[in-house]
Amino acid sequence: MASRGTAQRPNGTQGKICQFKLVLLGESAVGKSSLVLRFVKGQFHEYQESTIGAAFLTQTVCLEETTVKFEIWDTAGQERYHSLAPMYYRGAQAAIVVYDITNQDTFTRATTWVKELQRQASPSIVIALAGNKADLGNKRVVEYEEAQAYAEENGLLFMETSAKTAMNVNDIFLAIAKKLPKNEQTGNAGTSGQGRRLVESEGQKPTSGNCCK
Amino acid sequence: MSTPEQLAIVQSKFTTGETVVIAMEAKLCQGWLKSTRLIAVVNKGSTSALVVLITSRNPPQVYSDLTIEKILPIDQDFQCNIGTDEEQQDVTDVFLNVTCRKTRTIFEMRPGIAATNLVSAIFQAIDVYQKNKNPTTDFLWIQKLTGSVRSLDISGDQEETISDPIVDLESQDINISRRNIATGKTPIAPRESVVRYQMACKEDDYTYTKNFRLFIGTWNVNGQPPIGITLQKWLSCDEEPPDIYAIGFQELDLSKEAFLFNDTPREEEWRHIVSRSLHPDANYEQIALVRLVGMMLIVFTQTAHLPHIKNVCVDTVGTGIMGKMGNKGGVAVSCTIHNTSVCFINAHLAAHSEEYERRNQDFADICARLHFSTYAPSKGFKDHDQIYWLGDLNYRITEMDAFRAKQFLAGGNLLPVLKLDQLEQQRKLGKVFQGFHEADITFKPTYKYDPGTDNWDSSEKGRAPAWCDRVLWKGEAINSIAYRSHPELKISDHKPVSSIFDSQVRVIDVAKYRKIHEDLMKKLDKLENEFLPQVTVDTTEVIFETLRFDEPCSKELIVANTGQVPVEFEFIKKLDDASYCKDWLSITPYTDFIEPGQKCDIKLEVRVDKRSAWKLNSGADQLYDILVLHLVNGKDIFITVTGTYERSCFGCSMEALIHIPVPIREVPAGRIMELENSKNLSQDPYSVPKEIWLLVDRLYRHGIKTPGLFETQGLHSEVLAIRDWLDVGSQDAMPGSVHSVAEALLLLLDSTPEPLIPYNLHSQCLSATASYLQCKQIVMQLPEIRRTVFLYICAFLQELLNHTQDNGLDAKTLASLFGSFFLRDLPRARDDRIHRSRTIQPTFDRKKAAFVYHFLINDQSDFIGR
Repeated sequence: MASRGTAQRPNGTQGKICQFKLVLLGESAVGKSSLVLRFVKGQFHEYQESTIGAAFLTQTVCLEETTVKFEIWDTAGQERYHSLAPMYYRGAQAAIVVYDITNQDTFTRATTWVKELQRQASPSIVIALAGNKADLGNKRVVEYEEAQAYAEENGLLFMETSAKTAMNVNDIFLAIAKKLPKNEQTGNAGTSGQGRRLVESEGQKPTSGNCCK
Repeated sequence: MSTPEQLAIVQSKFTTGETVVIAMEAKLCQGWLKSTRLIAVVNKGSTSALVVLITSRNPPQVYSDLTIEKILPIDQDFQCNIGTDEEQQDVTDVFLNVTCRKTRTIFEMRPGIAATNLVSAIFQAIDVYQKNKNPTTDFLWIQKLTGSVRSLDISGDQEETISDPIVDLESQDINISRRNIATGKTPIAPRESVVRYQMACKEDDYTYTKNFRLFIGTWNVNGQPPIGITLQKWLSCDEEPPDIYAIGFQELDLSKEAFLFNDTPREEEWRHIVSRSLHPDANYEQIALVRLVGMMLIVFTQTAHLPHIKNVCVDTVGTGIMGKMGNKGGVAVSCTIHNTSVCFINAHLAAHSEEYERRNQDFADICARLHFSTYAPSKGFKDHDQIYWLGDLNYRITEMDAFRAKQFLAGGNLLPVLKLDQLEQQRKLGKVFQGFHEADITFKPTYKYDPGTDNWDSSEKGRAPAWCDRVLWKGEAINSIAYRSHPELKISDHKPVSSIFDSQVRVIDVAKYRKIHEDLMKKLDKLENEFLPQVTVDTTEVIFETLRFDEPCSKELIVANTGQVPVEFEFIKKLDDASYCKDWLSITPYTDFIEPGQKCDIKLEVRVDKRSAWKLNSGADQLYDILVLHLVNGKDIFITVTGTYERSCFGCSMEALIHIPVPIREVPAGRIMELENSKNLSQDPYSVPKEIWLLVDRLYRHGIKTPGLFETQGLHSEVLAIRDWLDVGSQDAMPGSVHSVAEALLLLLDSTPEPLIPYNLHSQCLSATASYLQCKQIVMQLPEIRRTVFLYICAFLQELLNHTQDNGLDAKTLASLFGSFFLRDLPRARDDRIHRSRTIQPTFDRKKAAFVYHFLINDQSDFIGR
């Protein structure tokens, strides 16, 4: 008897949903919360309150084959809360490290965040660097090329963003969603590549298994 | 939930005659929420209904724990589909998709025997209804039950509006307590299943129909091998190539071997010839072949459609000898073409002219027993959008003699004969093929011919001709284009029949699908974000101005629920910390619920006591803590607690105190820290800390004859006044009663970082208690300052004991008291101590007392001399 294929989902048309934890890190007042607010609700508040804690929101990004659901943890940027950051980046599959293009110190701080993530976070974490407040080009002190070179060196996704104008906001999340490993095979998630450090150069797809839900 | 007791509780909701067949727990899926329900199949007479009950307690204990929420009559309007989430291999939840009165309800069940039983009970009830076709009046008992719940329109004329589950969620009548959402008692459904369900509801919005031409063919070949023939005249006689072929054979092989071993070379012979006879203008690919003894069904598709044909599975049902064997019965192929599920069934029903009831029964058996078991639980044939039924159904003409029938037929007058066709008659009576359609028959009967000819059967039996070979269909958007026989093929006593259909298949418009899918996701995101717990706190900085040793101070933190759902909050541990706050802080309550619009006052109390003071003095800790206020399923808020600690001699080590010649408040905090860490010690330390001396001296002068000294509690306020007197320095006399002074002395000894006799010597002390000499040797080993203080206090105690007539003290009491201070247990051992207290602790305490006792009753002048 010929029978092609085993049982599949009766409505085999929907892609699966992968859930990922994403954390935003960076100096205070660089616009982490504004980026999230723009991404999740499409809003921008000129005077966004300072985050004292870790805000939590979810947002879904639909890709061709899969749907990526982000659990976003927007952390407090103030230095005194630094020691609490690991609570949020531990177990995160993605991080956006944000700096303010009009403030050199925030870029320096961003690089130390990247170092900390590379050292302490999951080895397969996808890190994106966001140069926010790109709408304030006339006050720019961090050059695009400088940040891009740094990002390339460290295998980071990089975009200059503006929560105010929405420039590149969806794009950076989308880029992360695309870069996140989505295991196509079910059942063997998380077994391969555990603990392997990936050298992520352009075009190289991470192979380590962060399990899709 | 199928124990007899529980079934009895459910039964108690119904009256006599109404029988609860089965009941089980399931989750009612409403949008992205799931709530627990009991679903039960209840029957009365030959009618059944699916009953949905709300349980206030799970499992229900008494009658009143259950409320009937909905009753769905299992009648012509009732549809039930099963779906699963096979991609998650370990948790295969079963989805029961019930449509009744145009309302779709979806339940999620744990797979297992219970779920299987429930599903089969439902399908059995459907079958029973299909047989009886009870009038609506039979269902009146349901109306009586629902009277108090919701009036149910039995006639089904009135349509309930199709409810968008998301709208349901936002509406008020949602039956789920919001608290359950926040506490996670009602698990937020995994999105995937919700999305799949939601997308299924919106199918019309993102699908369009596409015409598929189907060729359905059936032929009883009477066991003849396909030698020297081709089938083009049957299979490719039309101009347009069909998209799908479903070709059924009966009596493929009449040999005993085929019957007993279900093995025949004919399968491949016929498959081969069929595949060579398909329409030449298209390329075909076989998608399934299924055979049971002589019944074989092959399905082909044009190669181009192959990627869109999924979920192909097959099943067979034998209804022959003993109702089981494969000489009669059906074989079936189920598949999904694009987004439309299709089932092809090739049947060979019971033979013999008079046996039409047997044929009806075979049909019903095939319907009931066909299960595509690769679905879990198995999918019945009814769960398809389109069903094509072909085969040798064997219905005859009995009410007209063969001669007369042949006369009509010879004259091309089919109608008088067709009228007497058993299948036509039985269908009209609703006994078989309910809901199926058949195209008008315009061809001569296909049975029975002399093989090799177009002549009617000339054997002795002289059977009346009959339309044994038929094609019927069920489902929407199926157009019959042709229905004919193919007399050119003569090897059998049957002629082949074929039918052409133009069927509308739902195809997903990928762009629309994405758009709707994305919108749905956004809607779910929005909902999920809106329903996140939200609170505001009145402050994130709690500042305690001045904190003194052993003087508790508290502040309030107000947490207000400003969101839409109840909030459960909890102060959580930071990373690898042992506790959610420092040991000098206590939070009450540290976890609680807050209803929307309500608030909660949280008391933060700081108390620097003997356990924490020394850490503040030595710089090992500071009055600074960041609390993480976590909202369950939501965000975290950081609360910073700070305070200024007024340093005190309490909590200082003896080693530091002897280097402080002035009241401690006059010494900068940094200096104390230096001394605590043995840095920059002064040249000329005291031999005994002045605070010890001051306290002992006070007691010596004013308390030596006080009855109950060290046995009577002092006043806490006086102890605090003594603390200030010591810390600030004063010309006035020391405040407080001698009892408070005594307590201050003990507290001073108790708040040092380490007990007077260092921890590392404790076990030695305890094992030396039998010998004064050994005890003395240990004391000799003590660091000088400790030894001096130890002997100083012992000397004072000896002095006290010289006045026992006045103060009533005895050496054993004092030894026991001071033993517990000199040899204080490790604070970490607090947990152990609870365990130890009943058994070993008294022994430890006795040994400590015994150790000190030696120094209270023996002359120590030799010590002091040194």
